[in-house]
Amino acid sequence: MANRKHIIPLSRWRQLSQAVCLLLFLFLFSKTDYTGSDQLEYAVNIIFRFDPLIATAVMLAAKSVVLLLLPALILVALSLLLGRFFCGWACPLGTLIDLVHPLLKSHNPALDTRFPRLRYGILAFLLSAAFFGLPLVGYLDPFSLLVRGLTLAVEPAINHAATSFFTFTYQKAPALVNLVTEPLYDFLQATILPFSQKHYHLVYLSMAILATVFLLELNQRRFFCRNLCPLGALLGLLARFGLMNGAGGNDACGRCTTCRNICRMGAIDEQRHIDMAACTLCLECLDKCPRSTIIFNWKKPLTLQTGYSGSRRFFLGSLTAGALLPLFTNVRGLAKVTNQRLIRPPGALGEKEFLSLCVRCGECMKVCIGNTLQPVFLEAGIEGMFSPKVDSRLGYCEFNCTLCGQVCPTGAIRELQLTEKHTFKIGQAFFDKNRCLPYARGIPCMVCEEHCPTADKAIKFNETMATNDRGQQVQVKQPFVVAELCIGCGICEHKCPLPGAAAIRITNAGETRSPDKALPVASAGYG
Amino acid sequence: MDRRTFLHHVFLWTAGLTVTIPRFRVSTAFAGQSSTSRLAVGKDIDYGLLVEKTLAALNGMNAFIRPGDKVVIKPNIGWDRSPEQAANTHPLVVKALVEHALEAGAAKVQVFDRTCNEQRRCYKNSGIEDTLKGLKNKKVSLEHIDQRKFVPVDLERGKSLSRMEIYRDVLEADSYINVPVAKHHGLSRLTLGLKNSMGVIGGNRGKLHFNLGQKLADLATVVRPTLTVIDATRMLLRNGPQGGSLNDVQISNTVIASADPVAADAYATTLFGLKPEEIASTKAAYDLGLGEMTIDNLQIIEV
Ligand code: SF4
Ligand code: SF4
Repeated sequence: MANRKHIIPLSRWRQLSQAVCLLLFLFLFSKTDYTGSDQLEYAVNIIFRFDPLIATAVMLAAKSVVLLLLPALILVALSLLLGRFFCGWACPLGTLIDLVHPLLKSHNPALDTRFPRLRYGILAFLLSAAFFGLPLVGYLDPFSLLVRGLTLAVEPAINHAATSFFTFTYQKAPALVNLVTEPLYDFLQATILPFSQKHYHLVYLSMAILATVFLLELNQRRFFCRNLCPLGALLGLLARFGLMNGAGGNDACGRCTTCRNICRMGAIDEQRHIDMAACTLCLECLDKCPRSTIIFNWKKPLTLQTGYSGSRRFFLGSLTAGALLPLFTNVRGLAKVTNQRLIRPPGALGEKEFLSLCVRCGECMKVCIGNTLQPVFLEAGIEGMFSPKVDSRLGYCEFNCTLCGQVCPTGAIRELQLTEKHTFKIGQAFFDKNRCLPYARGIPCMVCEEHCPTADKAIKFNETMATNDRGQQVQVKQPFVVAELCIGCGICEHKCPLPGAAAIRITNAGETRSPDKALPVASAGYG
Repeated sequence: MDRRTFLHHVFLWTAGLTVTIPRFRVSTAFAGQSSTSRLAVGKDIDYGLLVEKTLAALNGMNAFIRPGDKVVIKPNIGWDRSPEQAANTHPLVVKALVEHALEAGAAKVQVFDRTCNEQRRCYKNSGIEDTLKGLKNKKVSLEHIDQRKFVPVDLERGKSLSRMEIYRDVLEADSYINVPVAKHHGLSRLTLGLKNSMGVIGGNRGKLHFNLGQKLADLATVVRPTLTVIDATRMLLRNGPQGGSLNDVQISNTVIASADPVAADAYATTLFGLKPEEIASTKAAYDLGLGEMTIDNLQIIEV
């Protein structure tokens, strides 16, 4: 990049790149859905595969090379070459933060990064915890945070607002208004609105976390990127040892601190040296420098890198914390008895492996057409928060669908072929005969049997006499579950017409992924 | 209160209005029934031809549709199953009916179902979406159910139900053509025309399973097809209503058509080797005077 004024300022090109990347991201986000073919064409999962933070943490946790995540090496190479450009030119979260910044400007902008060591501490902690068995990287990875927040809170809320508005106009407004609003609604549905209204647990929590990232702008510009982002920290480290170098001001600058004042990353110190671990190459300084002094090039400077060199104690402390905390995970009650309602998506790996690989991105919950995949709160321990579980009362797993395995960026849910999916047991249905109408009250029902999708129905029935509410004997069909046929799809629990809890419920007993949960078989001595 | 009504109320409250529930009045006075119900049964391996000749036996589609009519054709698209699996109405039967409706001068032909599995998967994998798209006719629409269109309707003659939410387009249609697929059903033994009309009602349908037969008959007092065409081209004999195994499917290449919904169901029942009165909904509808179920009283035209 040359040391002269450009007809189109370089920062404009950066903004263009940011806009393109954001739009691409949003396009992929909205396409992460069933669109008429069993095989997905597009999904946001691609950005996760370029994320070196996720790749490192996941491979440390899994203690193996995860091939799906190797594209991250591309970003590593690019960062060695171009510095932390990704944060300035491409990251959708960074772009969104830049976009909201004008609305949330702080009144006394702090030039120096508030907690310059924090992000390294976070990075060290996350990686060491991942290695020692406490996979937490998804909580703070910027893509996970963003996709999850959009999936679990923002998109459903937007759709709800739109539906409410157009329901109101449809039912209450004069026909004339509907001439305008109905085509508009059609258009929005065909373009940006999701196909159906989704409902999620942890909506407020997801929304609050995402909102906090933006609200921190009130404290200082790009607060998240400067102080917290572990991916930014990692890319910054690469940049520091990489080739890209920014030559900042010099003695001739006199009292001018224009560059320092406009730097959104606080990367320029009082001597106007540029810290490449912080600089995201937004190039504002290069455009605005009155003397055109600032140059970015590939020469290594002769002087030592300025900027923060991590205090050893803090860094080691974070590493140690990451190593020690996992000790406690193995002495939880959870380590012995898992929650029976913790039902994982079809194709999910064994629990320990699954949690090591799952990065809490929410992709599977976004794509799930049954709306059955829901974020876990604490049922799977503190490291399990936001990982997916099947909530069969809220939704059910479509028999012929394999989408969650297709979008999972790390393979925590592996992609099942349809034939395999048809017999992959995610759990097992159990009747609660004290509530089930034909058993408890002699009332015919069998909605569960009607919906059970296995070709040889897993729910069968006996026609027998039962006592009804009035004490009379009535003939009624009473359903029962055949364990070998049930795959735990949960449509029975979902469609059970009882209010409140269903009279048939799924637990993770017998799930294919955990051999230790195999159901007792009569022939094996349980008779 | 479901989410939709709740919203509705919130909007009304915020607008400072009181809540009034809109009602849709449907006349339940019956036109004089002819003493014999005519019924056509066709057999052919070409489903287009099959529909054509069966309709011809009832004087053609012009007997049911006048030029300019708004027509609703209601197939069973309830399940994410392929045509061979016989859980949904065959796309070619639907297509032929749509074409005949257009020929008879229909101004608009709407096709829809409130599905049990995910809507897009059902429309797509039933083959109905692609088949109808292939017609490339602007008058034909295959829309997904719009929750806003369910309106409460009083069932004045209902014995087990007094009110139901019914899809507006069905109530407003000039001609409602019911096109069920004939198949097995665990609770009600078979699902035929009367059961197929469940696809036009809103709310929690599972709650209807208690005394289902009577409730279906009650529904039939207001949702009255001008024509019922029962698709028995393939019959699902076991593990209905969604099946999944081709071993449970019998190829019969048959359709049954009648203006009398009860007669159509009654006759279709005999194809399964059952008697009409064994199906609770048929019996209840007959008792309500909605049609004929005694096979001997039917004028059957075989083609
Ligand atoms: S849980 Fe079932 S319905 Fe949901 S995405 Fe996975 S396979 Fe599809
Ligand atoms: S979970 Fe229920 S509906 Fe699904 S296979 Fe088992 S019994 Fe059938």
